[in-house]
Amino acid sequence: MSELLIKNATVYDPINGINGDKMDIAVKDGKIVDSIGGGAQTIDAEGRLVYPGGVDAHTHIAGSKVNIGRIMRPEDSRSGIKPRTKITRPYTGYTVPNVYAMGYRYAEMGYTTAFEAAVPILKARHTHEELEEIPIIDKGGLTLFGSNWMVMDAIREGDQERLAAYVAWGLLASRGWGIKIVNPGGGEAWGFGKNVSGLDDPVPNFEVTPRQIIRNLAEVNEKMNLPHSIHLHCNNLGVPGNYKTTLDSFDICKDIKSKRDRQSLHVTHVMFNSLGGNHWGDFESKTDVISDYLNKNDFLTVDMGQMIFGNATTMTADGPVQYRNSTTFKARWGNGDVELEDTSGVTPLYYSPQVYFYGVMWAMGLELALLTKDPWKVLLTTDHPNGGPYVNYPEAMTLLMSKKKREEEIAKITEKAYDRWHISGIERELDWYDIAIKTRAAHAKVLGLVEQGKGHLGIGADADIAIYDIKPDETDATVEYDRVKAAFRKAAYTIKGGQIVVKDGEITATPMGRTYWVRTKVDNDGYNRMMDDLKFKFKNYYSVNMANYMVQDEYVQHPVVVETEYAEV
Amino acid sequence: MQTVTLVPKEQFKISIEAELITPDNFAGKSNTEIGVLIAYEGNTPRPLSELFDIKVDGSAEGADDVKIEIKGSVPRVKRIGEGMTGGRILIDGDVDMRCGAKMKGGIITINGNADSWVGQEMTGGEINVQGDAAYYVGAGYRGESCGMRGGKITVFGNANDFVGEHMCGGEIIIKGNAGILPGVSNKGGKIVIYGNTDMPGSEMTKGTIIVKGKVADLMPVYQREGIESIDGEEFIKYVGDVIVGGKGELFVR
Repeated sequence: MSELLIKNATVYDPINGINGDKMDIAVKDGKIVDSIGGGAQTIDAEGRLVYPGGVDAHTHIAGSKVNIGRIMRPEDSRSGIKPRTKITRPYTGYTVPNVYAMGYRYAEMGYTTAFEAAVPILKARHTHEELEEIPIIDKGGLTLFGSNWMVMDAIREGDQERLAAYVAWGLLASRGWGIKIVNPGGGEAWGFGKNVSGLDDPVPNFEVTPRQIIRNLAEVNEKMNLPHSIHLHCNNLGVPGNYKTTLDSFDICKDIKSKRDRQSLHVTHVMFNSLGGNHWGDFESKTDVISDYLNKNDFLTVDMGQMIFGNATTMTADGPVQYRNSTTFKARWGNGDVELEDTSGVTPLYYSPQVYFYGVMWAMGLELALLTKDPWKVLLTTDHPNGGPYVNYPEAMTLLMSKKKREEEIAKITEKAYDRWHISGIERELDWYDIAIKTRAAHAKVLGLVEQGKGHLGIGADADIAIYDIKPDETDATVEYDRVKAAFRKAAYTIKGGQIVVKDGEITATPMGRTYWVRTKVDNDGYNRMMDDLKFKFKNYYSVNMANYMVQDEYVQHPVVVETEYAEV
Repeated sequence: MQTVTLVPKEQFKISIEAELITPDNFAGKSNTEIGVLIAYEGNTPRPLSELFDIKVDGSAEGADDVKIEIKGSVPRVKRIGEGMTGGRILIDGDVDMRCGAKMKGGIITINGNADSWVGQEMTGGEINVQGDAAYYVGAGYRGESCGMRGGKITVFGNANDFVGEHMCGGEIIIKGNAGILPGVSNKGGKIVIYGNTDMPGSEMTKGTIIVKGKVADLMPVYQREGIESIDGEEFIKYVGDVIVGGKGELFVR
């Protein structure tokens, strides 16, 4: 079938240990192969930078909360407008772009995979309807379990088999890839206008603590042998002094071992959870403590949640946080109740460098990435669109690569922030190899996608390749950051599954990507106990019938199903 | 001095997005150069010369020396003068929505009626509407935090509802009557209504509203602060909206 040869590439492929080698890449039928015959289509990279296609392990690109953001922000659609062409549909929006622009803009940056990080089971059908319309990129969704009645009841009764059976059923019902936990217990408490204050604060009416929820789901995650670890958004997000809660949350999973070659805990957008001080008056960055923990422990990974100055639309299953945001900043507020499963909130914010706590938070994402020695442990994200839209990843990359660029940005920030952060003293500048780790290799490893052929360019991997208009030998990213940023923003070529989808930053083809999900076999009596409980809950509490609840195959037209099996460790 | 005369070739049925009709865009351009500029009629791109008979007299270095005259009523042409920084536009009839949106300077004179959102989010300059204006005079786009921030809009006829919604600065003068809720959610600026209106200034946090005619229904969210005289006329001064902790000033008779 289709063959492609990329000649004279300067390749960075951290999973295979390739660090700037000059080589050719052969592609056949959408996969990387050893060699191909003559006559194949050839791209001469002329020594330019070649990465595996980008992977985003944490982003919010589909589902009801994104749509609430679109509805509540009509003014957002005034920016980013690009008329349709013969190949592409129109683009609109910046923080909450239209469905098509979501895929196009990822592809333009050389990204080929993105995972939606919060899918309530009840709203999963909507999420998949949107994912099915996002062109080009491969996708997946992480299913919310952190404030779910089925989960909390099983944990209180100490029935881990039942819990595993429910998680397996929930992943099937939502066609999900992994376990997402948002402010464990807090979502349920928010149904009563309350929140949980810490890891040992019991959830009203359920008498389980956030600590138990995290621990049990982490154990079950490993017994189910899921490709991804639990994906945790910690309690007390955005509260000064929350770094202590974050450290305690890390400790919960310290002794959990995974059968797979990956972390046993991924903690997301840690920037928002590394706040020191007791209130916003004496608030300061505690990323040094968090990074120190990361440097000493190997069982966990985190992502930055880098803040980008300007407009953002914050959206999360953490309902109480959004109520606080909207009242503090007199911003618009969208609130959602997902019946037995969770809550959600949407609030547009504007991050100004003249507000000192935004200035400090901007620095904190970078500090996490730079103070943590091992680049594999901290992923580059902006928690799109909470910290800022993903189109700013190139900005974040250049901030990590250049101290001069950071100094230029620091000059724009109010001086009130200067004695509350650590960024000023950091000399470290990441290189091309580190950036390849932080934007693709580590994301694929953390998600468990390496064996699916993502995040690397080894033989048999998916032919997802990004070629950027930079010659690493001749480019000094510490000085020429503007040029580097422009190159990362518009890839010279993006190749998805062996097909050229972007050339010179313009979309040239729009194939439909695949959706990854996991089916786990739980073959024990816990399944029957779970089904009894589930039927009871649908009969008494849900507003929908159980028969109408599960996402059907029609909603996931391009599935890749990974099978696993439950086993006691 | 450059004068550009545009005569509509027909009575347009489908609305035309004409944000290109500004002194800035036309300055120094010849008849043919202006004629090839593209406006959208519905979703169809069309050169300006297909829509208007164009006549150019003289030439100009910058927008300030340009005068655009639209001879005839153009009730389906939107966004005339969007973002203009100087010069003059004279419209001999009615205009469609968003005339003078985001305008920064210059003068627009409309001899007929203006449709909704005239002077939307303008920051400077002047708009005179000789006839009536529809809804949202000087307001903001849906969801935008500020409407008008500067400049002046004068409507010699009546205006419909929500005059100066979300206004943050500038001045709006309505010589006739205004519909309900003028100055709703205001954060600054000044609105003067010579005629009657209804429920002025709910949710306002800053700014001034003066109503010289009758107020049919005053929202019960204002605190009375005595009598004050403006230009020799006595008004009752109210401050509010107290529910949002507002410091807006409302003067009624």
